[in-house]
Amino acid sequence: MHWLSRKRNILMMLIPTLMIYLVYMIIPIAIAIGYSFTKYTGIGKAKIVGFNNYMRLFRDHTFWIALKNTAVIFVIAFVLLMIGAFVVALLLNLNLKGKSFAQSLIFSPAVIAPIIVGILWVFILDPQIGLINAIIRSLGFGQGIKWIGGKTLTPVSVAIVYFWQQLGYLATIYLAGLKMIPVEIEEAVQIDGASVWQKLRYVTIPMMRSTISTVAILVITGTFKIFEIVQQLTNGGPNHISETLITYSYSATFTNGEYGYGMSLATVTFFISLVVIAIYFGLSKERGRKEVS
Amino acid sequence: MNKSNRRTGFSTGAQVGIYVLLTLVVLLAILPFLWMIMLSFKGNSQILSNPLSFPTTINLENYRRAIQLLNLGNLYKNTIFIVVVSIAIELCFTFASSFALAKMTFRCKKTRSALYEFLLLGLAISPFILLFPVYRINTIVHLKEQMGLVMPYVASSVSFNTLLFVGYLKELPSEIDEAAIIDGCNLGQLIIRVIVPMAKPVIATVVVFNVLYIWNEFPFASVILHHTSNYTLALGASFFKGKYNIDYSGMIASSTLMIIPELIFYGIFQKNIVSGMTAGAVKG
Repeated sequence: MHWLSRKRNILMMLIPTLMIYLVYMIIPIAIAIGYSFTKYTGIGKAKIVGFNNYMRLFRDHTFWIALKNTAVIFVIAFVLLMIGAFVVALLLNLNLKGKSFAQSLIFSPAVIAPIIVGILWVFILDPQIGLINAIIRSLGFGQGIKWIGGKTLTPVSVAIVYFWQQLGYLATIYLAGLKMIPVEIEEAVQIDGASVWQKLRYVTIPMMRSTISTVAILVITGTFKIFEIVQQLTNGGPNHISETLITYSYSATFTNGEYGYGMSLATVTFFISLVVIAIYFGLSKERGRKEVS
Repeated sequence: MNKSNRRTGFSTGAQVGIYVLLTLVVLLAILPFLWMIMLSFKGNSQILSNPLSFPTTINLENYRRAIQLLNLGNLYKNTIFIVVVSIAIELCFTFASSFALAKMTFRCKKTRSALYEFLLLGLAISPFILLFPVYRINTIVHLKEQMGLVMPYVASSVSFNTLLFVGYLKELPSEIDEAAIIDGCNLGQLIIRVIVPMAKPVIATVVVFNVLYIWNEFPFASVILHHTSNYTLALGASFFKGKYNIDYSGMIASSTLMIIPELIFYGIFQKNIVSGMTAGAVKG
């Protein structure tokens, strides 16, 4: 292959990708961070204001609400998905009849547009027209519950919708990990007379460590990208109480036209998600070391 | 032990429990779809007053209105145009760069792995920090509407495509390309006549995965597309949600009309979609 590997050839092959990647992926991050130190309304020039946007952010009540909502969504979705998808993967790993058909149905929510997922769940969660409250009313249990649009439940509902959307996808990733456990080990454990729980605790979960990390990273990065679901369910309202970091930075930027402030929100959100990933890696490394020693 | 026990190694009672649990999970997954289809045959007043009731007649009025008001044909046309142009460009670009990273000899080995890792960084970058900067860059380079969307879509695909292409191309035996070079192939001929035919499975996975991504993409589209006549399907989906009133039946019918082709696409390319979505995750 080195015959054709002249420098000119290599450059020619790499440059288009590198150019577009730099201009539309890497430089934009620098631009976003740059704007976060300015005041810019879209007209005229951006005015440099130092850390003003970040100071404002700390005093901004809505920012803390958005942060809290994002945290609630993250914690609930993380727990539900890490465990739920694992259980579904264990089910699909058994030798059951119709399991591949079941698997393709369970996976299907991950394929459709998130915006449609949001619309779909409006018709289930909406206090007036939604399915759940219609059932509650028809059973005579009162007027139903404000699943969305009320004071507290919206982030919980968002987490559940996200759970619905991601369950089959993450289960499939777990399943790929389960399939990589050598059959000999499973058989040996079975012959040794281990119970189902023992096998799970001492063989399956330890051998799945890297897959579990993958799923965790996907859930962390994924929950920090939930946008369309919130936008369709409540659009951050009423009065910003169901805003998440993403929807708040989006509306500050594009609805209110406060580009500088919006970019400081986007920057903070981006770094928070990186920090959560770093914390997760730190914790899982620590635990791994303890179990080895 | 009877036969079914040997299948799973569980007692009959546990076996029944397992099937019940699996059925419940399947129901949870498909119930929202079924509910949507049922609602789509009902008028606004029926949805508002009595959502649980079965539709008395099969009322296709919602669909008629959705197709008419939404100009669904145009939404499909725009979406397909953006999908085709973006994927054509990204395939040429990322296949070439992945080939260089996987097969060509770098004088300095470190340069290659550094470039590879640099190109994978995008997997951790959230699109939301990019929206406004990309919008600004587009105005500077005079790209707008559909063409303004193509560039961020191509850039978003770089990391995923690099991961899959480089992984696959590295596995291909290098004797074949060496034989082709000795037979007098130049670089272009080698790639088009020899490598691409061998890489068909991974190209299929990459294409299907990216079709789905672009088809569903909303944040970039909502920022970059301004004229209603250029809207993609994902943008059209929220058309019936006005600021003060919501046309529920129109919304549900249009969503159904957008979901069904997507589910058919999933049915046909299920293998590629599932392997693409999981391969990207597992290798990353």
